[in-house]
Amino acid sequence: MTMQTSQRFSAREIRQYTFKVGLSRTEGGIMELVSEAYTFVLGGLTLLTMAGAIIVGLRNSLGVGHVSVLNASAVAPGFHSVTLLQASATVLLTLAAALLAVEMTVGPITMTVPQTAWWLGLPVRRRGFIQPGFLKSLVWPAAAAVVVVVPMALGMAAEPSPGRIALATLCGIGLGWLLFGIAAWCQVTNSGKWVKNLVGVVTLVAPLTLVATALYNNDAGASAITGAQTAWLEYLPTSWPLLVAGGAMWPLVMVLFALLLLAAVWWNLERITTAQLKASAAAGAYVAGSLMSMDASELSKSLGGGASSGTSRVRLRLVFHGGTVFSRSVKTLLSTHATMALRSPVSLLRVLVLAAIPASLAAVEFLGNAVLIAVVLYLCAHFAATSLGATARFANGNPAVDMLMPLPARIVRRVHYVLPAVGMTVWAAVCFGLLLALGVGSPSLLVLAVLAGPALGAATLRAAFRPAPDWNMPAIASASGPIPTGAVRAFLVGPDLTLISLLPVLICLISGGVPFVAFPAQLGLTLLAFAWGTHVRKPKSAKSGGLFGLPPVPVEK
Amino acid sequence: MSKATNSPKKPPSQRKDVVRAEKLQAGYGTKSVCGVASFSLQSGQALALVGPNGAGKSTVVKTVVGQLEAVSGTALIHGVKVDDRTLDFRREVAVVFDDDAFFPALTVEEHLAIVSAGHGVEDVEEVIASELEFFGLKALATSRPYNLSSGQRRRMLLASAFVRPRSLLVLDEPEQRLDTAMRHRLATRLRAEVDAGLALLVVTHDPEFLTTVATKALFIADTVHPMTPAQAAAAIASENPHAE
Repeated sequence: MTMQTSQRFSAREIRQYTFKVGLSRTEGGIMELVSEAYTFVLGGLTLLTMAGAIIVGLRNSLGVGHVSVLNASAVAPGFHSVTLLQASATVLLTLAAALLAVEMTVGPITMTVPQTAWWLGLPVRRRGFIQPGFLKSLVWPAAAAVVVVVPMALGMAAEPSPGRIALATLCGIGLGWLLFGIAAWCQVTNSGKWVKNLVGVVTLVAPLTLVATALYNNDAGASAITGAQTAWLEYLPTSWPLLVAGGAMWPLVMVLFALLLLAAVWWNLERITTAQLKASAAAGAYVAGSLMSMDASELSKSLGGGASSGTSRVRLRLVFHGGTVFSRSVKTLLSTHATMALRSPVSLLRVLVLAAIPASLAAVEFLGNAVLIAVVLYLCAHFAATSLGATARFANGNPAVDMLMPLPARIVRRVHYVLPAVGMTVWAAVCFGLLLALGVGSPSLLVLAVLAGPALGAATLRAAFRPAPDWNMPAIASASGPIPTGAVRAFLVGPDLTLISLLPVLICLISGGVPFVAFPAQLGLTLLAFAWGTHVRKPKSAKSGGLFGLPPVPVEK
Repeated sequence: MSKATNSPKKPPSQRKDVVRAEKLQAGYGTKSVCGVASFSLQSGQALALVGPNGAGKSTVVKTVVGQLEAVSGTALIHGVKVDDRTLDFRREVAVVFDDDAFFPALTVEEHLAIVSAGHGVEDVEEVIASELEFFGLKALATSRPYNLSSGQRRRMLLASAFVRPRSLLVLDEPEQRLDTAMRHRLATRLRAEVDAGLALLVVTHDPEFLTTVATKALFIADTVHPMTPAQAAAAIASENPHAE
């Protein structure tokens, strides 16, 4: 314990050492780099296409751009019932609340879990560890603001000049930094739990007001809520960037507020405690994991940060008598999956809300564009599918539980398929039923969507049982440190099958009709998706049909 | 050049408290998890916290080292209220919890180098080589942590506390995941360091480890009782008849 000590390294030197040594050990070959670059480019192009579709759709819906068949409204006349102003103000408020909630959970001032474990005990000034991350983190709210404000400003401004769009974006960045600063100040001073609770409520309630207004207005007739009655919404601070896009300058004062708050946080950076840094690192790791799995339930849980009560009143029968061992085991597994689903009513509620979102979009004045609805449908379908995949993901992470059952892996996988398949079929029926009620699509499209439901269940399994990136493979250097080979490709396993499963439905939605050939095509795709999603990957060493390479247990018939 | 030293072999009356807990109640938020604890620990002493699973031993330790806020009462280290943001605290106190988190791209010796160099140790390579030898990790020095077994990673974590100066060492169940021989070697080493002046605060469930290392003990439950190491070992053994 007595050691000769001399000049200590600074935090900056330690940080640079850790980073450089990590990068120097990356060994990825040119093909891995090409592969990863390909995936990034493909992903980027997809995002750009989606963003482009949204911008073009908005402008054409407003009559600013050129109308084509693809951009024609998918909504029957008389069904638009929420004003674009109310919708945009609500969306901005919700996104701002969500951004603040995320920042307050993962902490604007953050480190990774290994960094907290190996750096925080060192007797060096912590500013050197946390300041670079804090400054770099400013990019994310700015980027989020650009991604949200630019398309909205481009779409909604009557005369979107580059200067006006730039100022609106600057105001949006100011808003993002203000939210970032609020979260950082709460973290530094270990305060603001009420802020987190408040933004949580806003995130939940704000979108519901949109759906509620749409439902109310469709039946209200002359007493419907008008645009004039909701005009005050544009003066909410979260809507200020749109005011700037419309010509106002005073909302830019938000940028000044944001900079002052950030300066105060920067000055107090070292007040943050080890416990807070560790908590935010753990939350960040959880969020990153759920983002990688594109799993709405896990993401929601990770961002919620609330501890489960650990108790549940839901009790289903798990032990069955009579019949064969095979049938009893299947029943037990099914009952287990149903129990897990029912013990998470929030997840089921989320699936229902996701079924209502495309309809609420269709209800917004000017937004009943077929391409926009198709894009939102795809995203909602994927998030609903992953919400129903909790048991399958649990089984993937804890294979020993499935191994307790005297069933071959193929059968276990198919049992896992049952709940998501039923759930997504119901989801498709609800989603397209609501769309039909709001004037989108036709009964034929509803039938086609129901046929796609079981395929979406298969996509749930594909996402849940995707192979994890192999950390033993050579890592690839990246700006944010070494990443394992195939990490990005793993991200796309699951969403790909969701898209394939929904192709006939989306094409018919956009084209505006359902030809007879679409039904056999959808059935074929559903069967293909079932085979694909329930396929069990055998480990290289496996020569038998048993679970995880083990010989199958003889089943008593 | 500076030396991080202790005050070994002083008569008990001349020793200052390294740790002093006064009516300390540990817990989460306003909810305490165990009884009120008052104790002191001086250099050349090893205090073992024992008690059943979930009794709150680790919570007490985390509160003592400032990783949790006390529900009530105070914890002082070297006479100062605990604040792990201060450089003095981090210079003097080495803490090993079961944080199984590592930089994936760094090797075992590079992890230890961060700790050792970060504390300004002069002969970093020599110190690390010596600890790798002691913890049986010499052949794995250039391995990455996630290629090690769980027990080997545990050894690596423990080694990180020994490649740096310390006047107080805090260990949470150090015997976990270690084989019997390593437990014995670690216990013997710790006892030697305590005899040389180290203050050791340790949570343990291993009676043999406890009797080798501890100079006094505290039984943590709904109420907190001071005990002799022999009494604590007997208490553990009666709770866990299968303990090694």
